[in-house]
Amino acid sequence: MRAPAVALTLVVSFASLAAQSSGPNAKSPAPRASDGKPDLTGVWQGGSTQRGSWEDANTGVGVGGSGRNPTAPAALSSNDRPANREGAPYQPWAAQKVLEAFNRRGIDDPTARCLPAGIPRTIMLGLFPQQIVQTPTQIVMLYEYMNVYRVIPLTSTRPDDMIPSYMGTSIGRWDGDTLVVDTIGFNDKTWLAGTGTFHTDGLHTVERYTRVDKDQINYEVTLDDPAVFTKPWTLTSTLMLREGTRLQEMVCAENNIDLDRYEKLLEGGVKFTR
Amino acid sequence: MTKGFAAAGVLMSVVLLPAPARAHHSFGAEYDANKPITLTGVITKVEWTNPHSHFYLDVTDSNGKVVNWKFEGYNPAVLYRVGWKKDVTLKPGDKITVFGWQARDGGPWAHSREITLADGRKLFFGPPSGTGDGGNSPAVEVK
Repeated sequence: MRAPAVALTLVVSFASLAAQSSGPNAKSPAPRASDGKPDLTGVWQGGSTQRGSWEDANTGVGVGGSGRNPTAPAALSSNDRPANREGAPYQPWAAQKVLEAFNRRGIDDPTARCLPAGIPRTIMLGLFPQQIVQTPTQIVMLYEYMNVYRVIPLTSTRPDDMIPSYMGTSIGRWDGDTLVVDTIGFNDKTWLAGTGTFHTDGLHTVERYTRVDKDQINYEVTLDDPAVFTKPWTLTSTLMLREGTRLQEMVCAENNIDLDRYEKLLEGGVKFTR
Repeated sequence: MTKGFAAAGVLMSVVLLPAPARAHHSFGAEYDANKPITLTGVITKVEWTNPHSHFYLDVTDSNGKVVNWKFEGYNPAVLYRVGWKKDVTLKPGDKITVFGWQARDGGPWAHSREITLADGRKLFFGPPSGTGDGGNSPAVEVK
């Protein structure tokens, strides 16, 4: 009885292997670095689940919603709450503050002032690519959006003279095949994941990057800030490989005329109703 | 049952739809999703700038009056990846048709979405309406 069961298992295994090794959605294994760790090096698009080049992945559903119907409703932006996400665990007073920002339609968004988007917002937004450069001793993450970067040591401890910053001070380590990035040392000037999702300089983020195959990194981040949350807040997303895409320069302050407009709008008493 | 399945299907679509998130400032603070407009005119100026690009369009109304409209859209890096080439795809003098949404104050400025070039090609110059203004539900539960 056992032999047929084994044979059947083998047939099924080979069938699934064959299915994975051909066709447009074929999955190749994640490449390994010389030290045996998964190699995360590459240009990635956050907030997408589509495989393929930037052009292929963003022609249909992609850059700007449906990509085919100009009147289609917006795909989620980095300060919209996905339909399947539970409410952020803010303390009641803090939740009220988040709601006020929402009712002001995000006019207070720090990025409208050309400030860096912080973590995890920078990683999860999809219109701008990010690049990971991996070495055995450090990981460098480059972000087109606001042209910010992170240098994440893998072998040293965190400095004890941190300056509060938009992207925080990170250290990394490998947990099996997952890169774990632990970050503190933030300022309190960014939004986390949604309109008005503020935090204090006590924010602590733990990110987990798992390259599950050649094209996909599963991203999970846990946000802890006891001064505003009732419990840690965990979010997940995916980063998709975009071979052939280059990071471009983005100098936000070049012609940022929106703030003047906002002031005029506010003076005019515009009601930001939906 | 059929209705239930249909509703479940819609819900699944919402949950599973890949949605590359965008960033930057609020659409809804400046523009009105209930004021879609389609205008045809002649390009007078293009600003290929960060954090947003703009172009200006002379539009002639039925009385022969010319109004210069201003349209906002993606920054240069995103335009490049969507298929635009600076000083080539869009130049002063080009006749185009643009679809977008007008400003809340009703003035001659708008958020651009799709541009139809003189040769019939269609390219996106900006994201859909509603971008960056918080969506339909806040990040926290409302009681």
